Amino acid sequence: MKTYDAVVIGAGSVGVPLAYRLAVRGLQVAVVEKLASVGQGQNKAAIGGIRATHSDRAKIKVGNASLHVIRRLLPDYGQDVDYIEGGYLFPAYSEEIAQGLKKLLPMQKSFGLDIDWIEAGEVRKRCPGILEDGLLGGTFSPEDGHLSSLKLAGAFHRLAAAEGVDFLFNTTVLGFEVEKGKVSAVLTDQGQITCSYVVNAAGGYGRDISLMVGTDLPVYPDSHEAGVTEPVQRFFLPMLVDIAPDEQSDNYYFYQNAEGQIVFCITPRPKRMGTDRRSTSEFLPMVIPRMLNLYPRLRNLKVRRVWRGLYPMTPDGKPIVGFDQDVQGFFHAIGMCGQGLMLGPGLADMIALAIAEGQEDEEVFADLSPYRDFSGDELLK
Amino acid sequence: MRITKHPVLDIPEGKSVSFTFDGQTLVGQDGEMVSSALFANGIRTFSIHTVGDAPQGLFCANGQCAQCTVIIDGLPVKSCITPLRAGMEIKTLVHHPELPPDDKWRPANKPEELSCQVLIVGAGPSGITAAIELADRGFSVILVDDKDHLGGKLVLQTHKFFGSMADCYAGTRGTDIARILEQEARSRENITIMSGSTVAGIYADGKAGVYQDRLEKYVHVSFEGLIVATGARERSLIFPGNDLPGVFGAGAFQTLVNRDLVKSSERVLIVGCGNVGLIGAYHALQAGIEVVGLLDIAPRVTGYKVHADKIKRMGVPIYLNHTLIGVQGQGKVEEATIAQVDAQWNPLVETAKTFAVDTVLIAVGLSSADEFYHSGLAGGFPVLKTGDAGEIAEASSAMIGGRIVGREMAALLGHDISVPKEWFEKAEILKSHPGKVFERSYALPAEGGWEPMIHCYQEIPCNPCTTVCPHDSIHLTDETGTIMDLPEFGGKCIGCGLCVLICPGLAITLVRKSKTDGLAELILPHEFDHDFQQGDVVRLRDPEGLNLGDGTIIATRYNKKHRTHLITLEVPADLATRAVGILVQPEEVTKPLPEADFTYLPDNAVVCRCERVTVGEIRDFIQQNDVTDMNQLKLVRVAMGACGGKTCLDLVPRVLMQAGVKREDIHPATHRPLTVEVPMKALANQGGGQG
Repeated sequence: MKTYDAVVIGAGSVGVPLAYRLAVRGLQVAVVEKLASVGQGQNKAAIGGIRATHSDRAKIKVGNASLHVIRRLLPDYGQDVDYIEGGYLFPAYSEEIAQGLKKLLPMQKSFGLDIDWIEAGEVRKRCPGILEDGLLGGTFSPEDGHLSSLKLAGAFHRLAAAEGVDFLFNTTVLGFEVEKGKVSAVLTDQGQITCSYVVNAAGGYGRDISLMVGTDLPVYPDSHEAGVTEPVQRFFLPMLVDIAPDEQSDNYYFYQNAEGQIVFCITPRPKRMGTDRRSTSEFLPMVIPRMLNLYPRLRNLKVRRVWRGLYPMTPDGKPIVGFDQDVQGFFHAIGMCGQGLMLGPGLADMIALAIAEGQEDEEVFADLSPYRDFSGDELLK
Repeated sequence: MRITKHPVLDIPEGKSVSFTFDGQTLVGQDGEMVSSALFANGIRTFSIHTVGDAPQGLFCANGQCAQCTVIIDGLPVKSCITPLRAGMEIKTLVHHPELPPDDKWRPANKPEELSCQVLIVGAGPSGITAAIELADRGFSVILVDDKDHLGGKLVLQTHKFFGSMADCYAGTRGTDIARILEQEARSRENITIMSGSTVAGIYADGKAGVYQDRLEKYVHVSFEGLIVATGARERSLIFPGNDLPGVFGAGAFQTLVNRDLVKSSERVLIVGCGNVGLIGAYHALQAGIEVVGLLDIAPRVTGYKVHADKIKRMGVPIYLNHTLIGVQGQGKVEEATIAQVDAQWNPLVETAKTFAVDTVLIAVGLSSADEFYHSGLAGGFPVLKTGDAGEIAEASSAMIGGRIVGREMAALLGHDISVPKEWFEKAEILKSHPGKVFERSYALPAEGGWEPMIHCYQEIPCNPCTTVCPHDSIHLTDETGTIMDLPEFGGKCIGCGLCVLICPGLAITLVRKSKTDGLAELILPHEFDHDFQQGDVVRLRDPEGLNLGDGTIIATRYNKKHRTHLITLEVPADLATRAVGILVQPEEVTKPLPEADFTYLPDNAVVCRCERVTVGEIRDFIQQNDVTDMNQLKLVRVAMGACGGKTCLDLVPRVLMQAGVKREDIHPATHRPLTVEVPMKALANQGGGQG
């Protein structure tokens, strides 16, 4: 096999944009992917929400960088990824939720986020038909949005391929060769690939890859199920997030995509740990009543398809991004906690800069370091 | 138009109700499917697609695709599974529907939880026989079917079945077998029948999600073992104009014509000469619909020779080594053009013939609908598949196959139950493809007595003629020692005509010498309404449809049980042993237009019907992006529509190969639930269904 400057493991939400950025910076890049094409792991399972509205400074910075990249894809690169800047709307039907959301605002605003409390009337204007009874208002961040995850991976795939990136599909990583403390090759079931840098962007299987160089990082996937409906004429724009938990689940969220379909997802409680991606009978009876309680109008909408994807979680809900301390040239970009889609494009730029130029955004890299203290907890996961 | 007279089917008296379509008041029959009511009123365009504003019509008539979606009382629904009610306001669906502002909050309810030992999905011939086998061994069975009547596709089959009388009701019409099987299933207490119920998903936690559309309910069924008897889907075909209203599956045609008694068409062209296409042609003729011909790209008929011969005798030509190069018309099928193919199956456009037709039926084979089997395997529970879901074959083999699988499931669940060895042998024989073709010679019986002429030339699994003869005078040859062997006469014939009546191939006649020298009497089976009078002269056809000359009607009889006419004719003695049928369709009907009329635009053919993605778009995308994974084609929305790739994913490998991808490099598309779209109000069991 050929020799590359960098090998990216995983053709997903992080790996594909990263491969493109590395190639733009002049590196010879290969992407190794065990599945048959781009975006076939967790990328296509992502429902498509894109936001900078986090409650952690590093994630906000990365999220903003992603949004910046995504907004330029159509005008500058001719890549349509169905991005709609419809905002994120967190409605509140109880004082407790309203206060909780309002309490986050000063911190979010201090990070420069465009987010504010909107009154019930404004919520209903943005989401016609949303339950009126007990609606107190909500927080709304107009600069967030949603897109097609598969199209985003497809767009970066085309851009990367045009920059000469080689995509090696149906190729499984078996290990690495390390010479004098420095990574020198990727060993795969299709042969050995010589390289100077390796980026682990293996998503739900990121921990397994890092363990191959002897670094044990705390990434443990849990899974969420999601679904999509038939398309109907547009009737609302924002991503709606209901954070009020019920007996079986925490938050759930949904939006209407560019095709007119409603895409939805829920966080079950307790968490479903592991990498099982088979659909269960529990999902629809768990999520649909909640959606209809919030948005009765959806009752006549038909559910078309369901699936289940992994959230590669870390103890503090933040990604793990940075060079390995022991194996030179080995970079970890894992533990995206289900936010690889919205963090990937922004991180790609930062990681490419770190690898190609040795420049690291100190704040981000310190906050997301593989060697940080993982005991913190983000408020708005 | 409706069928008001049918040689085999009774025409029930329906209750007329009025409804509106795009504001116009029309009349239909209470409870019939809306799609049939629309067809009966001459309406074939059900929706206007967002892509290219293309008119779309009925395609599967089986609740599987969503091409027949219309707006009923404000909501988009599949018209082929929605019963017509008085006062319905029906509209053409134009682009994406608007979600009505129905904003009243309603309480939600959890799905009802049912459980059984064995869940059987699909109550066709294999599902029902599996259920009976299990029930008779004490198992609790839930039998789920999406239709109101059990029997699967048997309910569409007006013809007599092949096989043996002992094992699979040979000589009985499919519609009658369906009734017998349904009664058998309903008479068993430990079979719970859920009709009008569609399995939307088989989930990894050992439950099926079942959608009952009329009740607006969603039910969970837990099971220990799963039998998938979901039948098959009709394969589609890539040709320009293939999404015009008026292009539909032969199964859809049988549904309209044989189940709903709607005269769907005036003139049809049929693509595919397997049994489905051949029988489709026969059903068309019986319904008074003209058939300009059948075509197949293969050099020979793949269905039973007796079926092909039968329709040739009726006056329908068969074009082998031909393909469809275009179907055209203003918003509906008006013309279809066929052409001969070369050795590489490329059309020779200079050989094109254009027919004026309003319908093109696609009968190019079936593919197993076995997604639930794979869900079952993924779930890790005991799962078996049977009938067409297991392997495409005749309903006769599905019946014995279901019994085998019923017993195998019992064994899988730990019971000491085995399958008799001879069942496997029978099943193997019943699913045999047609075998060798023999030359046979016939002679007039010497004395004045009757004798059957058995014009059965090809080995097929069929023997009812040997069972019905009261003098046991018909036996199979012992070429193979199975029911594949050909029947031959030897012994006494009293001219009772039972063999003539039972033969599914209409391939047996009775002859005897006439009192007048040089003439003979001939008794033929005839399954068409007729007004023959004594003395009428009719055109006689040989087994393969060649014109032989004329015969004179002496008498006609109608056998009610077999719903078959026996026509007695006086014919020249030399024709008596060769004449098997009477020309039914005038030859002028099948003539092409004087000049072929077509523009050959192969890239415009639609592959994904739901999203209206053409073969040209897909091939370009494959080549520009080095696609080998069928999942990548979701980027151009292949298989992203309502049906979930049921039709297009069967076609996509061919497109990939045409674009230069090797077969072994093709990665299949991922299947996900739901099998059919389910409204949220049903998933939340909000009530309000109409039962």
